[in-house]
Amino acid sequence: MHEVRAPRLVGTTAGGKLELVDSATYARYSTSDLASLLANESPVFIKSYGLGGLATSSFRGGASQHTAVLWNGFNIQSPMVGQTDLSLIPLVAASEVRIQYGGGTALWGSGAVGGSILLNNKAQYDEGLAVDAGARVGSFGEMREQLRIDFGDARWSLSVAAFHQAARNDFAYEVNDERRQQRNSQLEQRGVITQVHRRIGAHQQVHFVHWYQLSDRRIPATLHEAMSEARQEDESQRFTGGWQYNTVKMDVHVRGAWFDEALWWHPTDVIADRSRARTAIAEVELRWRSARGHAIGFGANSTQATAVSTGYTDEPRQGRNALFASYGYQHPSERWITSASIRQERMDARWMPVTATVGAEHVLLPGWRVKGSASRVYRVPTFNDLYWVPGGDRQLLPEQGYAAEAGAVGEERVGCVRLEGEGTVFTRTIDDWILWSPGPAYWSPMNLMRVWSRGVEARVTAKWTGGRTRYAATLRTNHVVSTNQQARTPDDASVDRQLIYVPMYSGQLRVGMERGRASASLAGTYTGYRYTSTDNRSYLAPFTLWNARFTYVLKVGERGDLLLDLRGDNLLAANYQVIADRPMPGRAYRAGITYRFKQRRTVP
Amino acid sequence: MMMRPLFVLLLTVLVIGCRKDKPEPPDGTPVEVGQRGVYITNEGNFQWGNASVSYFDPATGAATEDLYQPANSEALGDVLQQMVLHEGRGYLVLNNSGKVVVVDPHTFTRLATITGFPSPRALLPVSTTKAYVSDLSAGRLSVVDLVSNSMTGSIPCGQWTEAMVRIGDEAFVTDQSRPYVYVIDIATDQLVDSIAVARGGNSVVVDADGLLWVACGGGSGTSPALHRIDPDSHTVQATFPFASGSDSPWRLTANGDATMLHFLNEHVYRMPITATHLPTSAFIAANGRNFYGLGVDPNDGTVYVADAIDYVQRGVVLRHAADGSFIGSFHAGRIPGGFVFR
Repeated sequence: MHEVRAPRLVGTTAGGKLELVDSATYARYSTSDLASLLANESPVFIKSYGLGGLATSSFRGGASQHTAVLWNGFNIQSPMVGQTDLSLIPLVAASEVRIQYGGGTALWGSGAVGGSILLNNKAQYDEGLAVDAGARVGSFGEMREQLRIDFGDARWSLSVAAFHQAARNDFAYEVNDERRQQRNSQLEQRGVITQVHRRIGAHQQVHFVHWYQLSDRRIPATLHEAMSEARQEDESQRFTGGWQYNTVKMDVHVRGAWFDEALWWHPTDVIADRSRARTAIAEVELRWRSARGHAIGFGANSTQATAVSTGYTDEPRQGRNALFASYGYQHPSERWITSASIRQERMDARWMPVTATVGAEHVLLPGWRVKGSASRVYRVPTFNDLYWVPGGDRQLLPEQGYAAEAGAVGEERVGCVRLEGEGTVFTRTIDDWILWSPGPAYWSPMNLMRVWSRGVEARVTAKWTGGRTRYAATLRTNHVVSTNQQARTPDDASVDRQLIYVPMYSGQLRVGMERGRASASLAGTYTGYRYTSTDNRSYLAPFTLWNARFTYVLKVGERGDLLLDLRGDNLLAANYQVIADRPMPGRAYRAGITYRFKQRRTVP
Repeated sequence: MMMRPLFVLLLTVLVIGCRKDKPEPPDGTPVEVGQRGVYITNEGNFQWGNASVSYFDPATGAATEDLYQPANSEALGDVLQQMVLHEGRGYLVLNNSGKVVVVDPHTFTRLATITGFPSPRALLPVSTTKAYVSDLSAGRLSVVDLVSNSMTGSIPCGQWTEAMVRIGDEAFVTDQSRPYVYVIDIATDQLVDSIAVARGGNSVVVDADGLLWVACGGGSGTSPALHRIDPDSHTVQATFPFASGSDSPWRLTANGDATMLHFLNEHVYRMPITATHLPTSAFIAANGRNFYGLGVDPNDGTVYVADAIDYVQRGVVLRHAADGSFIGSFHAGRIPGGFVFR
């Protein structure tokens, strides 16, 4: 992954940590989902409830509701539960992934507290015809087929991608020296993503993207549950479209989105519990740039959401309207960049906290930049927090707090080795953290906790060439301390203790080599203790997963490639749990074959 | 090399920022319990498989957080609903594991496992060799043979059957989702009568006069209430309704001679069996604690109240003397809910 300063984000995010998932990494996960990408290639901790099961995130010690997932700039966190199931976000739904660390509420609104995952569908003008068709088989009855066709000329960029995936996920595992096989675990997923970009004249462009997906999975029993015949279906329709006008000095964006997400929960085959959330979003943004390095932007966002559930007595609606502005300055020497953004949102008839981010970066030494940023963050209560019967509380306050970070990023050449590194320290406090707690007759959410999260993230990448072989090695280490600061009952032993399911230590090591048409990589991921009690007396043991991969490319004709891909996961067959009592698979293999055709037409 | 200061700074930050993450290992030594003491059943979290049984010796003040795991080197199961002592054995009803684990009450080693229950809630021995098991979803009671430790039959009954008590030749069974107390003939294993009460019948006790008391949480248009039932005529003698629908009486129990009722309704309340109205003030106020379990030692009237705190850490058990004065407290397991005295 590369540290980047994306053009659209320059002027609003100076000083913050932003990573672009590079094309090689993206290609490795192109038939996978966001949960596996983040688990293996970022400091974000993925709470996986089992193979193919629910996967939520903890970003810098936050809750799953504190990771914003933005698809083409629009937040797709569920308005009902406030989180995103990352196992339902296939990378094929986007063409680029960026990870923005830290508080982004001033940019993206509620929920961008721990960090934001930015998924974008980029236009591919002038690329001609490209076809990507692949299939793979894997352990535990896994099968996947994927087809992607792109076409781009000077005016049009068209793309359609479709995938289908099925798995039995009936892996064997051991508990108390007894060998068992996972049951009620099969899944099936399919989706179609269509995108159209059209240039109009020299300065205008319109675009439209549609993403349909259907997932149908069984939910297996936990280790000590008698049995499960539960099943969950998720069906979503997501549209986004917009018009933009760009000149050297000015950008105008008018964009909109429509999300319709339904979930059917079947505790048994004869019961269906349905919920559905629909969201409409409209956004306008204007930006000017001066020749002297100043940039200024304004925008407005209106988000209307409604949801249906057996837990709500009526069909609650929520309207959120926001105004935002930003200013950025880049010194002509390019040694200094500063930025500031501010956002004010009104949810129904209530003003939300004013949020702001300020940041700066300075080129300290050739190849080395130091940077820092500070922001105010918040998250509004979810529909369930507000409207669930019984318990939901319409008077709940938004969670709010402050985040700050400082870091350095740089490159050096030591002999024939190119070294890249980044180190960041961060701190964040959140007040009025919402927690569901028992009352006399039922549970209800309350603004209960004050949480302080702080930590260090470090990454070092080394690249070198030996003979005809190119090598790359990346080491990441993450240290996150995220503690409750406030006693909730007289004997509460959770004060100054780590939040449950936030590993204090984690790390990744990846070594890759490439020679001619062959490439191979070996990656290890360490996840430290995760506590399963708020007093930190119960825990899950640390585990390390080793994965290896081998790829070979065969030339097929002048413009075609055939990719052969072999992969082994959890090679040492570690017996581990990410979430208590949810068994995880041992050693697993996958073999895939992909045909790629690229016309690569030259620009006229 | 100008880059060195930065690396040194980074390293320093890394070292200073570190905090020990390795927890203290749990005490894994099996414990043999004494002749007189208190078992505390800890529900554990739903789907986390962390149910446990704690033990407290009032003579020494020693508390053991878990008896089962050290004695058996395996987890007990998911959501421990109830423990029953019968004929020198302990029966542990594990709701979400769909099983009843039979243990030696001294060593806590597992003797047998009875399986096949959809969602068991409570076990009631009705003879030396036979027991009934209530169920959240089965719509029937299971009949269990305590010799072969197997399910031998079932009695269609209610929807969510919950608490049970035996009086003479009959068993009385509450239902959490229907407004009835069911009467079962023990000799024939037949449902013979149903007594109309409020919804949410969750706990029962037999008083000194041989009358049956039922605590109901209310719901679906019925108020929360205590009922006093004449077990001979199967009729409700008296109903004590609670003022507000948010009241939730549960964990109904009695002292040793069964003259004083105790129950939870956020706080601990107590009420003589001769009372003509509900108590107006709490016997033990919660003061911000999350009261989840209640027991009264039949030997000396000591009141044990379990505080589940946030449900995600080990709970605390508070001990109060019969006059309400605070004696002391000890730690139990996750979500302590029930007490068994021996």
